[in-house]
Amino acid sequence: MKRAPWLVAAGAVAGFLGVLGLHKTAAPGALASGGIQPASQSSQAGQPTHASPRGQTPAGGTRATPTAAAPAAGATVTSVGALERYGYGELAARVSISGGRITAITVPVLRTAEQYSQQLAAQVLPTLRSEVLAAQSARISAVSGATYTSQAYALSVQAALDKAHFR
Amino acid sequence: MSASPVAFGAPKSPADRKRRPARSPATRRPHPALARLALLVAGAGLGATLAVTITSQPASQLSARGGALTYAGSLAGMIGTYLALIMVLLVSRIPFVERVAGQDGLLRLHRAIAPWPISLLAAHALFLTLGYAEAARTGVWHEAGVLLTRYPDMLTATIGLALMCLIGIISVRAVRRRLRRETWWLIHLWMYLALAISFAHVIVLGPAFVGHPLTQAVWSVAWAATAGLVLCYRFGLPVVRSLRHRLTVTEVRREGPGVVSVICSGRRLDRLAVSGGQFFCWRFLSRGLWWQSHPYSLSALPQPPYLRLTVKAVGDHSSALASIRPGTKIAIEGPYGAFTRYAQRRPRALLVAAGIGVTALRALLEDLPRGSAPVVLLRASQPADLVLSTEVRELVKHRRGTIHELVGSREEAAINEVSLPRLVPDLAHRDVYVCGPEGFVASVVDTARNLGIPDEAIHHEAFAL
Repeated sequence: MKRAPWLVAAGAVAGFLGVLGLHKTAAPGALASGGIQPASQSSQAGQPTHASPRGQTPAGGTRATPTAAAPAAGATVTSVGALERYGYGELAARVSISGGRITAITVPVLRTAEQYSQQLAAQVLPTLRSEVLAAQSARISAVSGATYTSQAYALSVQAALDKAHFR
Repeated sequence: MSASPVAFGAPKSPADRKRRPARSPATRRPHPALARLALLVAGAGLGATLAVTITSQPASQLSARGGALTYAGSLAGMIGTYLALIMVLLVSRIPFVERVAGQDGLLRLHRAIAPWPISLLAAHALFLTLGYAEAARTGVWHEAGVLLTRYPDMLTATIGLALMCLIGIISVRAVRRRLRRETWWLIHLWMYLALAISFAHVIVLGPAFVGHPLTQAVWSVAWAATAGLVLCYRFGLPVVRSLRHRLTVTEVRREGPGVVSVICSGRRLDRLAVSGGQFFCWRFLSRGLWWQSHPYSLSALPQPPYLRLTVKAVGDHSSALASIRPGTKIAIEGPYGAFTRYAQRRPRALLVAAGIGVTALRALLEDLPRGSAPVVLLRASQPADLVLSTEVRELVKHRRGTIHELVGSREEAAINEVSLPRLVPDLAHRDVYVCGPEGFVASVVDTARNLGIPDEAIHHEAFAL
């Protein structure tokens, strides 16, 4: 059949546009929402360097406790990074800068595809936060098992730092 | 040798002679529109797969550390898996697809696509491991260990991928030539296992699926339906047909140098729809042969309760058939093939066969209506190789056709742009059917094309030695 490639191509375009259309109409509200703002000052000792990827129960005892952002004295600049979508959800990071140093990072927006991703993010965000605090930049290592979350986190932090003209 | 094309030489008891010659029913007409619809659907699936991958992974990921690799890895995995699905469907023997494209054509497509899913899935694993390692700033081997041990369903998926790569390697022409056909074929069936054990990690880990119940459902249904089609048509139907018809070898007859006809008898053959030119995959259930199944054309339309295949001894299997014992049970798959009268697009037909290719031509000729005036070209290197030519001449005469027997070396009895129009002056009004060894078929197809015959009017069935 000579027309076979054209039929496949026509089908492909139709299928592609069809799914995009479906996605546009179905997208809002598809994500489970829940802001997580890890405490900024608690000790980071014993944080996992690996998350337990989906399907396994996250290791106990490392869940972040949602508390208010750290109150900063003096000239503290707060900047919220772009909302970054990633494979399993979306998040935005808020960075506080005081005296030329990053003093706190919170995640005011975290919406995930399902409950498991939510738990996973809660588990790894403190690790990522301490990495940023230690490095004083968004150039951090992803947590194994939470690559996409880590990438989105780094991107959002970088956006926030850029907005605050940090270095 | 029987001279009558009707009773093709099955043993005649007095009861047989009294019975009116029964014909097996015609196969269903192919519907190209259905095949075109299938192509559209296959294309739509590809587009949809691409779209769900892209929408689940925002472009911003590309600027993250390791993001480009993970993005490419996901895309490669999704497209590779989709192509694997298509490859399985191509060989699942779906009757309406087989009728239009023929198994020959479907297998060619299956082979043409084959390198893509395997390399894309290998790239998927490689890119994701590299990407994750880059993002985590760890070593690649460490990251591979993390992926294998800490992610659910990744161990089985990795075993699946290893199997696929093994199958890919043994299918490379240079390697495949060194293997027995059956060894290769059996190993390559492990692909079903490889795909089955890789399925879970896609649904559980893929960003396009996690939190997208509709995508999960559609994907699962597509794979379950494909598995169902394979079970139904590739395994179930042949078993049912074999049990229903209970074919056994009745007689083996010498037709020429190294050529034998195997006459089989079975039950309810008046219910087995076959078109002339089609073939079955035959499994002779005798010691040493039961584990291999080989495709051979019927060399005549069924004459219930008899079927006949004619085989030239070129390999181990075809040689062994000369000494097969009457009473041997046979399992069949088929009939397959679109090399039938339904393929004809123009008012008349030219049938060309070389050597043992005459078998399919002989059955096809029998299926052409009376007065259809076919032209038949039989080519052989020596007169003794013109097997079944008596039957062919008889059938041509009944159909008011013309037959040319071209005997001699390739140069002496060439079929080319000069000789073909001379032998067949009204070539422009005929479809061309070619059957024979690969090289012969390719050369005749080229000649026909060069003489201006459109592709849709050229039909061929090549057999590899």
